[in-house]
Amino acid sequence: MTTRRPNGERGLSPQLLVELVMDPRDPAYEAAAQRRGGQPARHWYDRPALAVGALIAGFVLALAYVHTNRGAPGAVRVHDDLVTRVRTAEQRATVLATEAQRDTLRLNALRDSALGDAGPLSTALDRDQLLSGELAATGPGLQVTLSEPPAPRSTSDPGRGGTVPIAAGHILTDRDVRSVVNELWAGGAEAIAVNDIRLTPTSAVRFAGQAVLVDFQPIASPYTITAIGDADALATGFAASDVASRYQTLSSAKGIGFSFHEQSEVSVAASPGTTLRYAHVPAGGGR
Amino acid sequence: MIAAVALIAGIVAGLLLRPTVPTWLEPYLPIAVVAALDAVFGGVRARLDSVFDAKVFVVSFISNVLVAALIVYLGDKLGVGGQLSTAVVVVLGIRIFGNAAAIRRRLFHA
Repeated sequence: MTTRRPNGERGLSPQLLVELVMDPRDPAYEAAAQRRGGQPARHWYDRPALAVGALIAGFVLALAYVHTNRGAPGAVRVHDDLVTRVRTAEQRATVLATEAQRDTLRLNALRDSALGDAGPLSTALDRDQLLSGELAATGPGLQVTLSEPPAPRSTSDPGRGGTVPIAAGHILTDRDVRSVVNELWAGGAEAIAVNDIRLTPTSAVRFAGQAVLVDFQPIASPYTITAIGDADALATGFAASDVASRYQTLSSAKGIGFSFHEQSEVSVAASPGTTLRYAHVPAGGGR
Repeated sequence: MIAAVALIAGIVAGLLLRPTVPTWLEPYLPIAVVAALDAVFGGVRARLDSVFDAKVFVVSFISNVLVAALIVYLGDKLGVGGQLSTAVVVVLGIRIFGNAAAIRRRLFHA
C-alpha cells in the first residue's frame, strides 16, 4: 500500500493517521511564520486578539466545569431527598404499628372483661388471634438458621472484571425459606417469624431480583426462622424431615450455613399488617 | 503573559458568573472544551517553537469550534451525531496529546 502518488500528492492512507499522531502541530503556525519570513509579527490587533482568544478558551473550560458539576449535586440531592422520605415513611409505619398493637391489646383487655374469662368463646378468640399473627407470642420453640455461603472473591472470573456470578453469591431463594416455613407449619408450629417478621395466614414469601421478600419487606441472609410450639415435637419432626436432610446435604456440598436449635424461650412480634375484611350481604338482599 | 492572564480571567469569569448552558448548546460543549484545550496547547507549543501568531491562534480556535460543531450538527441531523462527536474528540484529543508531548520535550529535553 503506497502512500505517495506520482505527483507527490498525499493520498488517504494509514500514513495520514501516523502523521496525525506523530506530528500534530497545526501547520498554520508554520505557514504564517514562513509568510513573515522569520520576522516576528507585529499588528495592532495581536495582543487584543490573543487576550480575547485566551479569555474565550478559559471561559469555555470553566463553563464546562460548572455545567458538569451543577448536574451532579442535583442528582445527589434528589437521591438524599428520596432516602429521607423513605426513612420518614418507615418510621411513621413503625409508630403506627406500635399504636395499632397497643390498641389491639387494649381491645383484648376490654373484650376479656366483657366476656368474662375462661369461656369457650374467649379461648377460641385467643387461639385465632395467635394463629392470625395479631398478637405477639412468647414460648418454647425452634430456631432454624439458613445463610448464604461466604462471598467468593471476584478474581479471574469469566465475564467483566469485578463482577460476581449471580449464582455463586446467591444460592438461597424464597423457595428455601418457604420450604422450611412450610415444614415448621406442618410440624405443628403455632407462630412463625422470619427475620423478626411475623407470618400470618396471608403472608407470602417471595423473590424479587436477588432479595427474599416476606410480606413485601426485603430480608437478607442469614435467614432466621423462629417457630413457637412444642419444642421437642418441632425439633424431632424437623430433624427427621426431607427439608432438613436436603439442607444438611447442601451445607456440606455448597457451603451454605444451616443449623437448628431448640429454644426454651423465644418470642415473635405481632404482625402489623392485619387488614380486617368484612362480609357483606349482597345488594339484592340475598337469594 | 497577557494570554495567561486572559485565560485565568476567563476561568474566573466562568466560575463567578456560573452561566446556564442552553439545552440546544449542550451537545457542543464537549467539542468546545477539547477545541479550547487544543488551541491552548497548540498555542503554547507554537510559542515555545517561536512561531506563535495571535491571528493563527484565534482563527484556528474559532474555526475548529465552528467546523467541529458543524460536523456534529450534521451528524445529529443524520443520526450519527454521537459517533461524529466521538470522532472529533478523538482527533482533537490526539492533537492535544501530541502537543503536550512536544511541550514536554521542549521544556524538559526528555
